Amino acid sequence: MKAKQTLFTLALSALLFVSCKEERFIDQPGNLVPKTVDQDAGLPAITVNGARLHSEAFGHPDSPMIVAIHGGPGGDYRYLLNLKQLAEHGYRVVFYDQRGSGLSQRFPEKSYTALGAKAVDLMYDDLRGVIAHYRTSSSQKVFLLGYSWGGILAAGYAGKHPEAIQGLVVCEPGGLRWDDIMTFVSKSRSFNPWSESLNNASYLDQFTAGKEDQHDILDHKLALQSAKDEVTGEDNTTPGSFWRSGAVINTALFKVGRTYKPDFTKGLSRFSTPVLFLYSDQNKAYPPAWAQRISGAFPSADLFQVSGVGHTGIVKDKTTWQQVTLPKMLNYFKTR
Amino acid sequence: MNRFTTSILVLALTCLFSSAQAQTINWGSLKAENKQLITVNAGLEYGAVYGIGYGYKINNRLFPIIATVEYSAPTGDKPYDDFKTKIGGQIRWVKLNNFQFSTKLHGVFRSYQNELVRMLNFGSDLSGIAGYYRPNWFVAGELGFDKAIVTHFDHSQAYREQYPGVVDGWYEPATGGNLYYGLQTGVSFRRHDISVRAGKLLRQDFKTAPMLPFYGQLGYTIRF
Repeated sequence: MKAKQTLFTLALSALLFVSCKEERFIDQPGNLVPKTVDQDAGLPAITVNGARLHSEAFGHPDSPMIVAIHGGPGGDYRYLLNLKQLAEHGYRVVFYDQRGSGLSQRFPEKSYTALGAKAVDLMYDDLRGVIAHYRTSSSQKVFLLGYSWGGILAAGYAGKHPEAIQGLVVCEPGGLRWDDIMTFVSKSRSFNPWSESLNNASYLDQFTAGKEDQHDILDHKLALQSAKDEVTGEDNTTPGSFWRSGAVINTALFKVGRTYKPDFTKGLSRFSTPVLFLYSDQNKAYPPAWAQRISGAFPSADLFQVSGVGHTGIVKDKTTWQQVTLPKMLNYFKTR
Repeated sequence: MNRFTTSILVLALTCLFSSAQAQTINWGSLKAENKQLITVNAGLEYGAVYGIGYGYKINNRLFPIIATVEYSAPTGDKPYDDFKTKIGGQIRWVKLNNFQFSTKLHGVFRSYQNELVRMLNFGSDLSGIAGYYRPNWFVAGELGFDKAIVTHFDHSQAYREQYPGVVDGWYEPATGGNLYYGLQTGVSFRRHDISVRAGKLLRQDFKTAPMLPFYGQLGYTIRF
């Protein structure tokens, strides 16, 4: 028995020694996830509405402006960078990571939830601030290009400020009314209970938990959980998929949504400009009937199904972008 | 149907219908001559999991101890990338007629891998179980905390493509922990126990829940 006790003590000591020697901290900036713009002054950033936002713009400053709005909440614009090519066609292309997302500044969960239903207004105000930051004249046209959650936000903004934008492209917004959003989210997470995908997402919970506002570890965990999605056809393991997830804003906006059930179709009846509505054929949670249903909220929408890609592939997939999406978008913007 | 066939049948049914990863013990059915226990179980605990365990009873007049080793893994296409092993024991501290209280303490070693990372973790799992135990059945409540104490991160090339500056290695202090609480019950006959555990999980902030916020386990134990 004594021998066993000694062996156990030795093993434990060895473990403690090894772990102390190579100690790393999950909350040390830059260890598991990249630093944000407030931690790394070398990153391109703008200050909008009291937040430092990771942001870049391409193309002539006076050209018609296209503002790319990424998905999530809590995604980033890295997977949308093919849109840069629109600058070569005479457009000013603006990218920004929403607050709490990507490489933008992080804020505590309560900074969102304490606002109640107005947390969504904060996102609109940030978008308005980004437009104002880059706009060089009041005659400069502004187009919004929203992807997934970004499409929801863009639609809500169009309903709120129908006169402020001259065109809108949305790619697979899950829904524009809260119940539709939750239906889409639930469909997109309907993993086979015996599958590797479910385990990859849920088994992780016993390794890293993270407390409220421990941004680094929570963001890292969300990135791991979002690696692949067999339902939506997303693959975030390919190069250039993301910079850094925003777990806290993701949790906070879903909390706000569940409580206040925001309606992103509000005011859309006043937005008579035709909308280009793109969706993919590999996203099992987004069949044509769903695209019809969601696009029905716009007074005028041109539905277009992009073949051979999943949720993020409409812009992210290089071939699809070059051959299908870019010509479609150029044609749309040209006519606005 | 002889005893052996019955045992095999129960074992097969347990494997088929799944259950989870901790040995559930009916202290009321444990006889002095029962020295060893083998358990198979399956269920839901951070995923669909199956497990096997071995226990050795150390007779002690005041505080009987069952030393245990357990292995469990989730289902999925890759059978060996994720798993959990536990080594430790369960000690019964209190026996007042049919009411008994015991605690379990396990050292945990577990592995997780997906396309972006491989993680190895040393942790501990401490729980208390209080219940009413009869020779043929039992019902008990359990409360425990599973702590991820130190975790090794080894990121894949796919993650490095996203973030080349990621730092691999052992991370501490604790990277996680979850509280669990629930009920366990079971029936015993001859040398066999069939048990069910179910309950809820809460993250270490005691406010939010993991993606699968509950656990459930069906287990079969043979004593000999």
